[in-house]
Amino acid sequence: MRTRFVLILLSLMVTARSHAQSGLELFGYFESQIMGAVIEDRLNQVFMNKLRVDLNYDPSDRITFAANFDYITYHGKTEWNILQFLVPNITETIPEDMTGFYVIPFSDRHFLDNAYIKFVFRRFDLTVGKQQISLGSGYVWNPTDVFNIKDVLDPTYEQPGHNALRLDVPLGNSGGVTALYSPEDTWKQSSKLIQLKMRIPRFDVSFIAIETLWRFHDYTEFDEDTFGFLEQPEKRRVLGGSLEGELFGLGLWSEYGHSLMRKSKDFYELVVGMNYTFDFQTFVMMEYYRNTLAESDYRQYTLDDWMRYFTAEQKAVSRDQLYTLIQHPVTDFIELGMMSIISISDGSVALVPTFNWSFSENLDIMAYANVNFGKDGTAFSKMTGSGALIRARVYF
Amino acid sequence: MKCILWASILTFFSVSALFGQELTGEDIIQKVNDLLTVESSHSKSKMTIVTTSGEKRTFVMESWSKDNGEKNLVRYQEPRRVKDQAVLMLNQADDIWMYFPRTQRVRKLATHAKKQKMQGSDFSYEDMGSGDAFITDYTPRRLEDEKMEDHDCYKVELTRKEESDMSYSRMILWVIKENFVPVVIDYYDDKDPDRWIKRLIESDIRKIDGIWTAMKVVMQNKNDNTQTEMELLEVEYNVPLNDSMFTERGLKK
Repeated sequence: MRTRFVLILLSLMVTARSHAQSGLELFGYFESQIMGAVIEDRLNQVFMNKLRVDLNYDPSDRITFAANFDYITYHGKTEWNILQFLVPNITETIPEDMTGFYVIPFSDRHFLDNAYIKFVFRRFDLTVGKQQISLGSGYVWNPTDVFNIKDVLDPTYEQPGHNALRLDVPLGNSGGVTALYSPEDTWKQSSKLIQLKMRIPRFDVSFIAIETLWRFHDYTEFDEDTFGFLEQPEKRRVLGGSLEGELFGLGLWSEYGHSLMRKSKDFYELVVGMNYTFDFQTFVMMEYYRNTLAESDYRQYTLDDWMRYFTAEQKAVSRDQLYTLIQHPVTDFIELGMMSIISISDGSVALVPTFNWSFSENLDIMAYANVNFGKDGTAFSKMTGSGALIRARVYF
Repeated sequence: MKCILWASILTFFSVSALFGQELTGEDIIQKVNDLLTVESSHSKSKMTIVTTSGEKRTFVMESWSKDNGEKNLVRYQEPRRVKDQAVLMLNQADDIWMYFPRTQRVRKLATHAKKQKMQGSDFSYEDMGSGDAFITDYTPRRLEDEKMEDHDCYKVELTRKEESDMSYSRMILWVIKENFVPVVIDYYDDKDPDRWIKRLIESDIRKIDGIWTAMKVVMQNKNDNTQTEMELLEVEYNVPLNDSMFTERGLKK
């Protein structure tokens, strides 16, 4: 399989080179990263190498084909037992014979991440295929984005592609309607979305309605048919909106999503954020996030809450969180920063110093370290592992 | 609202009418500003950043401008790291959106973000914005004529109006008498009008499509001892551009 993938890549490169003059572009990046975490007083580390190859071809002004392949390998500690991060009153409830299932593996992967055709018509654009879907104005959390959950420590990392049909209809020069259909086995299981965007003085505003099937798992039940945890899919309808603009000189954004659940309790998510750049180039940002699906008392966090959080099924384990960032360019190409992620609900804090270095025109180096200060059982407790990440990425 | 760089790059003038007249500061700046009102333009430029250590970084970008500089779109072509990143500036750069192709996200920037350095260069987003800031945001005063960069120049001081939110408290322009190109502009600190922070120097001035154009612009940063050079590789004026280019749809194209 690997050989086949490499052959495909090589043939693409050769083909791309020979077709360079006809508009086929081949580009991408390679990144290598090391991530370490201190768990039970021991440093654990995992290495990742990722090659991303992008293709872009415009056979005419009105048609674009774009795709990318990802090839990712992991080394070092490639299996992480989630139970090591959890307090005894949660792990003690797990039957002895199930404790081996709470492991998140980092397995080598190669896959077609995005592959789509975009048709540009006079009055609308139609995009068909696997594509990134980016919704909402939030920087770290997006209540209206039912397709992706960002990494709170690395919120600007690219999101995976989703199979979808997307229609974008501009309305005048300052608004538009987006309709999206992401197919699953049946129409009922498929995700549908409609979004209206408009501009008011100083602000971009959008309203959105989404219907999707949320594939939650019950992490206390094992499904012998799938040899995994029991899936509990549930119809979810989200009504919400977002705005992004400026008030009193501050950059300001907000995003709201109200989830109407078929079986379980309805909940809402809210984001309010602001940022500012001082004359001396220091940039500050703050984003507040509330998710009423999560608990406000850390003693009520359940195994399901934690597992859904670690497996990116839900955005947070605690109800109220605050993200802050202060960043300053110390040279033309180096930025130092300090992030903090504060769980207001349980009083825990993660402090994350950051380092970004544009080493050369096409080579970036970034690093961060996260140090948790919360009590055991809280969202950012010492038990959940302080750690660090260093990544070098070269673009080609 | 803003027009620092493109005001400088895309400067043009009809020469004969102004010879022999005693011009006030207002007249000179008005004439310069009037002549900025090119209906539309399309250009390709190369930006080279030189750091204190002498290290160089090069960016190539394509730009489109419409409605006398009220609408601007800049799209990076090189290096690969920023390829297809784009910046849309409307309402004379009061509204700015950035497009990040890797995440396919469009973010609206607040006006304070215009102070940020563009790709680590000595140009801020505000410097790249277009418009008539010389007139709307500053009060001109003519100083004694001087020779600058081997040109006979009018020297004009611009002082920021109280209600303006421009980043520079004061500017001094040396405007070539022959063609009214501002060959040198000195910029002064936001808070301290005596603190000189940047100097813009224009050179290789040519008449393109009947319009005087500086093919090379250098911004020197006096604080950091760095400089950024902007070289026009191609430029054309009064090209037909569709309004749909200057929308989110056009930004993401």
